[in-house]
Amino acid sequence: MLFNLRSAATLFCAAALAAQAEVPSLVAIRDARVVPVKGSVMEKATVVIRDGLIADVGPSASPPAGAFVIDGTGLTIYPGLIDAYSTWGIPQATAAAPTATGRGGGGTQAILSALQTGQQAPRSQGPEDRPGTNTWVRAADLVRPSDTRLEAARSSGFTTAMTFPRGGLIGGHGAAVNLAGATGGAMVVEPSIGLQMTFTPGGYSGFPNTQMGILSYFRQLWLDAAHYAQAKSAYAANASGIRRPDYDRALEHLAGYPRVLLPAPNPIQLERVLKLAGDLKATPVFYGVQEGYRMAPVLKQANAAVILNSRWPARERDSDPEQQDSLRTLEMRDMAPQSPKILAAAGVPFAMSSEGAGAPRDIIRALKKSIDLGLSKEDALKSITLTPAEIFGLAAKLGSIEPGKIANLAVMDGDLFDDRTKVRMLFIDGVKYVPAPQAPQMPGGPGPGGPPGGQRPGSQTGETDEEIIR
Amino acid sequence: MTRPILLTMAAAGILAAGQDDSFLIRGATIHPVSGPAVENASLLVLDGKIAEIGLKIQNKAAQGKNKIRIVEAKGLHVYPGFIDSGSPVGLQEVSSVRETIDTGELGMFNPQLKAISAVNPESEHIPVIRGNGTTMVQILPGVAGGQGQTGIIGGQASIIRLSGYTWEEMLAVPYTALQAVWPVPSQGGRGGFDPSMLVPGARRQSSFSQANRAKEENIQKLTEFIEQARRYQAAKKAGPVPADRKFEAMLPVLEGVKPLLVEAARERAIREAVEWSEKQKIRIILTGVTRPGKMIEELGKKRIPVILGSPYSIRMEEDDPYDDPFTLPARLHQAGVEFAFASFGLQFARNLPFQAGQAVAFGLPYDAALKSITMTPARIWGLADSHGSIEPGKVADLILTDGDPLEPRSSVKMMFIQGREVDLESRHTRLYRKYMDRP
Repeated sequence: MLFNLRSAATLFCAAALAAQAEVPSLVAIRDARVVPVKGSVMEKATVVIRDGLIADVGPSASPPAGAFVIDGTGLTIYPGLIDAYSTWGIPQATAAAPTATGRGGGGTQAILSALQTGQQAPRSQGPEDRPGTNTWVRAADLVRPSDTRLEAARSSGFTTAMTFPRGGLIGGHGAAVNLAGATGGAMVVEPSIGLQMTFTPGGYSGFPNTQMGILSYFRQLWLDAAHYAQAKSAYAANASGIRRPDYDRALEHLAGYPRVLLPAPNPIQLERVLKLAGDLKATPVFYGVQEGYRMAPVLKQANAAVILNSRWPARERDSDPEQQDSLRTLEMRDMAPQSPKILAAAGVPFAMSSEGAGAPRDIIRALKKSIDLGLSKEDALKSITLTPAEIFGLAAKLGSIEPGKIANLAVMDGDLFDDRTKVRMLFIDGVKYVPAPQAPQMPGGPGPGGPPGGQRPGSQTGETDEEIIR
Repeated sequence: MTRPILLTMAAAGILAAGQDDSFLIRGATIHPVSGPAVENASLLVLDGKIAEIGLKIQNKAAQGKNKIRIVEAKGLHVYPGFIDSGSPVGLQEVSSVRETIDTGELGMFNPQLKAISAVNPESEHIPVIRGNGTTMVQILPGVAGGQGQTGIIGGQASIIRLSGYTWEEMLAVPYTALQAVWPVPSQGGRGGFDPSMLVPGARRQSSFSQANRAKEENIQKLTEFIEQARRYQAAKKAGPVPADRKFEAMLPVLEGVKPLLVEAARERAIREAVEWSEKQKIRIILTGVTRPGKMIEELGKKRIPVILGSPYSIRMEEDDPYDDPFTLPARLHQAGVEFAFASFGLQFARNLPFQAGQAVAFGLPYDAALKSITMTPARIWGLADSHGSIEPGKVADLILTDGDPLEPRSSVKMMFIQGREVDLESRHTRLYRKYMDRP
């Protein structure tokens, strides 16, 4: 890692990852422009950080005695940015081993297959085989500060990610994690924020292999889990004369999820998964949204939140020059970046994710495009700060600059949505980080959504820009 | 298998009875295609050939033959038998049973294969196809490639008449054209954006540059193959060479005697194929043309014939007009492109006349439609002197109908192939009767 040696912060950042104990627990940034997200922008204010939390903020706040004081003149302080649907923190397998189907997310899947009992693709005859049902996998157990992608994420101002394990029909339990920490455990803000579900068969062969099969399987799985819980409690109450219920790993861990994450790329799929969530009696959060511009009324009525892919659909870079794009496709390319504006106007909470993004910075660039199309900067900023915190029930800890919240801050030398703006320093759990002068490339390829038109290292397959979400 | 054999014996009975291939049709409306229809006319067939047409037959020989068969055809219409310019009939029977499929040999270049060599005269499809008026079919060997290769030259197409005990009897032209497929960039997957799909499959297998490179390589291989054949041709002229069936089969193509029947659906492939053929000085006929774009005018100017497949399909691109496949024949006609219809099918080959009828409903002049399954294919396949119209001297391949044969409601009442009456029984009529009779 390269650090800016001229920076006054050298002392702290050099020790940042290795020994947090040496970091002063009391820091004040004064005379900075503060964008608290909740509340109005303060042109000249001070933020006080104590023991990893925000202690005070405001124009009248003053650095306490003994505080390490940073001159914030010319700097803007934002809450640390949040990726609402991520894999950051879960180390990806090297060389992004392509999966059997050639689809993305090979890294996580490689880890998962290692976690599984050695079988590459177990054959599934029916729901009882629990195909691709990795409910026992928890992002909180998988995150490591050594994930090579964290540096790039931090360099773009991200301090937190809602990270979900991937692979199979149910990837596992997601966790809210800070993007730095002494250990994996120290990174975890909230170990259980929701169950990741997909409609993409993977990690098994056989049933279910169709939309109707998968819908039916999820319903059966929840029924089985309810029965399993009943049988277990009956047995616990009185074991005598009752045969013990068989232990079932998938059902054992199909509990303790505050919400389910379901893919809803378009209105038709949204209606399906909305009904599914109702039947499962689970609170849904919809991810992988591509056609958000057509989904606002249903989402509003359902009082549901969505997470948008941050790569707006575009023509493939390496595509047939004589290929004519359909009006439907052109409309989609035209309208998708307007989704945030349309959702905001309808009052539907939306957050942005690294899904589909090549580099973390692309999330901000995608929002910038939406701002150019009429989205307010405030709504844009919320979608990567307070809204994801609210969606995952963490608004008391994350998402804005308010006393008592976790001291996750992104200090920039200008407006977040100005492409020339650089992240000068970050605070994660009150610990200061200074990005390397040259923002590093996202190593080992981007998130599961794939790079824009590029090619995954080690993969033989080209990526399409209009890729279907996983 | 006893039933088909019994049927064939029954059909054979008519022919084997030594029935003459001379007869006189009286009182019919004759549609010669080459000219206007003649009402209440007579048609004399002698020894399998059309001898005379007119209101009153002058032929002394016919009058002398006191036992000539008279076909009273009041209210019926006489048309030349229809020619299907492409079908696997006789080489395929049940598409889902591998053992009954004889098309699509593996390999890139198979000019030496002859479709006629694999024809099954007992095919159940043949009587069915005859039922709507088709008397001749160009049979295609198919192009398959396989083993990672792209098939380019499939083999020799042949023309058969739909009547005969053996393939020799059915054979009309052993080698009409060499069937080929123009290489196209294939990226695999469905591509584009299909948001309703959440399962894999839409993803492209390769980028366009990769696919295009593979296409260029395949065209290069085709060019090299032609050059090799030219060297063989030159060497053969100079002196004896070891015989090579592949290159032997190429000689008529190099000499311009036989055309290359090239499948090219879209504008770019059509343009590439046309430009390549001009450079190579090889005569081509295009087939499978679906979305020719600006090449329509070029095909008219360059006088390159086109074989059209079934119009009963949906448009190729989402935003094309809904009737794009239906109006293509009319658009080709307007641009002066000569075209013939082919069924390119097996069980739907019987719909050939209705393909032409559908084109009329979408703007093609009726005469052009009728010609596209009679005179035009006869001309394209070098049979203009003997087939395609009702004119003295031509082969008596005739149908008698109770109405316009391009209309599905009309039926074919009688059929003659080489002047011999052909049974119009088929699996369809047998099943029809069987279930009509069910108590």
